[in-house]
Amino acid sequence: MSQPDSDRASSESSRRILSALADGDATDGEAARAFQAWRDDAGARAAWHSYQLIGDVLRSEDLASEPRADEAFLVALRARLADEPVVLAPQPRAEEAAVAAPAVANAGAAARSRARWQGPVAMAATTASSTRGCGASTTGSSARRARSATRNASSARGALARSSLRSTSPISW
Amino acid sequence: MTMLNPDPDAALVERVKQGDVRAFEMLVVKYQRRIERLIGRMVRDVDLVSDIAQETFIRAYRALPQFRAESAFYTWLYRIAVNTAKKALVDMKRDPVTTLTALQGSDEDDETYRPGMEPTDGETPEALLASKEIAATVNAAIAALSEDLRQAITLREIEGLSYEEISDVMNCPIGTVRSRIFRAREAIAERLRPLLDTREGNRW
Repeated sequence: MSQPDSDRASSESSRRILSALADGDATDGEAARAFQAWRDDAGARAAWHSYQLIGDVLRSEDLASEPRADEAFLVALRARLADEPVVLAPQPRAEEAAVAAPAVANAGAAARSRARWQGPVAMAATTASSTRGCGASTTGSSARRARSATRNASSARGALARSSLRSTSPISW
Repeated sequence: MTMLNPDPDAALVERVKQGDVRAFEMLVVKYQRRIERLIGRMVRDVDLVSDIAQETFIRAYRALPQFRAESAFYTWLYRIAVNTAKKALVDMKRDPVTTLTALQGSDEDDETYRPGMEPTDGETPEALLASKEIAATVNAAIAALSEDLRQAITLREIEGLSYEEISDVMNCPIGTVRSRIFRAREAIAERLRPLLDTREGNRW
C-alpha cells in the first residue's frame, strides 16, 4: 500500500491498542484512541475484523466466514442503526440527578440536550450521517450484496414488527 | 479461568452507553459470526439466519441502556439471539405466509424466488471454499509462529486466559504478553490479508 510513513506508524500503534482492547486490557486513554481509530482509520477497522476472525477460527474452524459476508452484514446493520434513536445511559452528574435514569433520546432530543452532552451526542449525530454516506459509497458486488442484505433486513423488520417482535422505541417506517 | 475475570467487552459496552454507536459496530464485528452460527442451529433458512442476526443486534442495541453487567455482554447477547430466533420460529409457525412474504419483501423482479430454495452466500461452493482457505491459512500461520507467540495467543484465544494469568503461566511481564499476542495476531493477519482484502482494497 502507498500510505505515508506517518500514517503507517499511527496505524500500527492503533493496532497495538486494538489488540489490547480486544482482550479487555486497554487503559481508558488507550480505549479512547481505539474508538477514534475505528472511526477514522480503515486499516484499524480491517485489523479489528482480522483479530476477531482469527480468534473465532482458532476456537472453531466453522467460524471461518468469508469477510465480504461480514462486511455486508455490518453495512446493512449500519443502515438500520442510523435509523435508531441514540442510546444514552449517562452517568448521573449532580445537577442532572433529575434526569439520571437511562434514557433513549431521539435525534431531536439529543440535539436539544447538546449543551449537556456535547461530546457523545455531537459525535453520534455525525456518525449517523457519515454511516449513511459510507453505505452509499460501496461499489460493485459488495454494494449489491449490501443492498440485498439491507432489503432482507428491512423486509425482516416488517415481518418482525408485524409480529410485535420489536421491543421499545417508536420507529418511523 | 475464574468467574472473576472482568468482561473483556466492558469498555466497549460503556462507550456505546455514552452514545457512540460506532463502538457498537466493533461488538458486531466481534460477535456476528458466533451469533449467526447459533441462530443457524435453530433456523435452517440461511437468509432468515442473517435477518434474525440483524434483528438480534438491533434489539441488543436498544436494550443496552438496561444492560447491568451482571453477566458478560456475550452471555446477554446470546440470550437475545436465542429469544429472537425462537420468536421468529413461532411467528413462522403461526403465520408462515405473512412472515415469509414480509421476509421476502416486495421483490417484483424476483418472481421465481422461494425462500430456502436457492443457495445463498453462506452455502455457495465459492463461499465454502473461501472459508476453508481462511481456516487453513490461520492454521498454517499459527504453525509458523515462534513458540512464545503461539503459546501466548493460544492461551488467550483458546484457553480464554487473561493477560495476568498468561503472564503467570509464561513467567513474563504483562507487557510482554500483550506484545506477544499483538505480534502473533499481526503475523497471522499478514498471511490472511490476500484473502481478506476486497477488490477495492479498502474494507470496512
